[in-house]
Amino acid sequence: MRPPAPAVEVESSSDPSANTSGDPSAMIEAYFEHGWTDGLPVVPPTDAAVSGALAAAGLGGSETIGAIPGRNVRVTAGKVAVNAVMAGCRPEYLPVVLAAIRGLCHPAFAYHGPASSTGGSAMAAIVSGPAARALGINSGNNAFGQGWRPNATIGRAVRLTMMNVMNTRPGLLDRATLGSPGKYSFCFAETEQHLAFEPFHVQRGFRPGQSAVTVYASNSLNQVYNQLATRPEPLLLCFADALCHLGIPNVLGFNQSLIVLAGEHSAILREAGWTRTQTQAFLVEHARRRVADFKRAARLPGEIVAADETAWRSVFDDPRDILIVCAGGEAGAWSACLPGWGKKWTRAVTVEVVTGDAEPQAAS
Amino acid sequence: MKLMDPTATPEAAQVRLAPRPKSLQGLRIGLIENTKFNSKALLLKTAQRLEQRHGMTVALLARKRSPSHEVEPDAVREFKAKADFVVSGIGD
Repeated sequence: MRPPAPAVEVESSSDPSANTSGDPSAMIEAYFEHGWTDGLPVVPPTDAAVSGALAAAGLGGSETIGAIPGRNVRVTAGKVAVNAVMAGCRPEYLPVVLAAIRGLCHPAFAYHGPASSTGGSAMAAIVSGPAARALGINSGNNAFGQGWRPNATIGRAVRLTMMNVMNTRPGLLDRATLGSPGKYSFCFAETEQHLAFEPFHVQRGFRPGQSAVTVYASNSLNQVYNQLATRPEPLLLCFADALCHLGIPNVLGFNQSLIVLAGEHSAILREAGWTRTQTQAFLVEHARRRVADFKRAARLPGEIVAADETAWRSVFDDPRDILIVCAGGEAGAWSACLPGWGKKWTRAVTVEVVTGDAEPQAAS
Repeated sequence: MKLMDPTATPEAAQVRLAPRPKSLQGLRIGLIENTKFNSKALLLKTAQRLEQRHGMTVALLARKRSPSHEVEPDAVREFKAKADFVVSGIGD
């Protein structure tokens, strides 16, 4: 692990130690040498590229986007823009990156825990509303995978900003035991093609015509398969099971979890007329195990007593803690369950995508 | 050719260390529990050792909102008033 680069007081500075001589590959190497990358090459930022990104966001660069209590870190638009350019973002992506960063800095997200924990969460950035379509953020086939520049670079910009600006470097204030590939980049859009319910951001209090980014600390990603179900109940039993296996983090904590429904599974709920509330209630009711199971696996303390064999313990205490988003391809019997990190104190945060000095709406 | 620094330096807060006690004997202990599973047990065990070895007493035990959150300002004020020093630690 390379130690962090020494502080430089100005945003743009000559570095006499870097023998870049106009060679792009030498420039890229210089960013590696400073410890400013995520392990992949970055796009060396220029004043023009950063200014272009800030112009697309209607900002000058000195604006405060957020702060992290306890770290004495203030995040400015200019620093986010530099990292967005490095990540490969087009200028028009910056407002989405900024919304994600605002979400991470929101008090309800309680950044220090999910960012620094041994749990090693990926920060999923879920884009809802017209901006997703306008920017071409993939919500369909391979929504979690490779191949789409906005998905790859917006998510990467968020992580680079976390590392470089928000003081979240591996081995220092990022103490992930394993981490996850999603820590390089994790951004996708909600589909408009196969929604099971109202759009996610609408459910969280935004208008359909607004665009919003939800940041969510995703502890892991578990694909859920069911090819035979034609009704919601058997399908949802598979999700409930995935949400309460013995190694799940929230045995004691009742944290949030995210369900991502792809096309075939979404259609089953839609055609059955199930609401989001009904689906959440079913999942909470069935995401449970016997107390004895948890004690046998040392996930709950104490000796097993006879009553534990028939006593059930749910892993959620509030149906609203199950977040449901529709994304992914229309073909295939796959969806996903993404258990969250932490307990009640860390909440997913949704922030409106805005430009200029407009005050963004936020919800948690 | 220029490199553009993508990092931000944490804004240094002006802090100074509290005066060191000349003796450990009889000091009042403050404990900050961070809500982790074994946090309270670990702190109380630590305090017990301090009580036995140095005649200290536990004056205050405060529970943080979560491990992710800072100690509430009200709790800080209470520690200042009631304790000579504070022990904080993780308890996974």
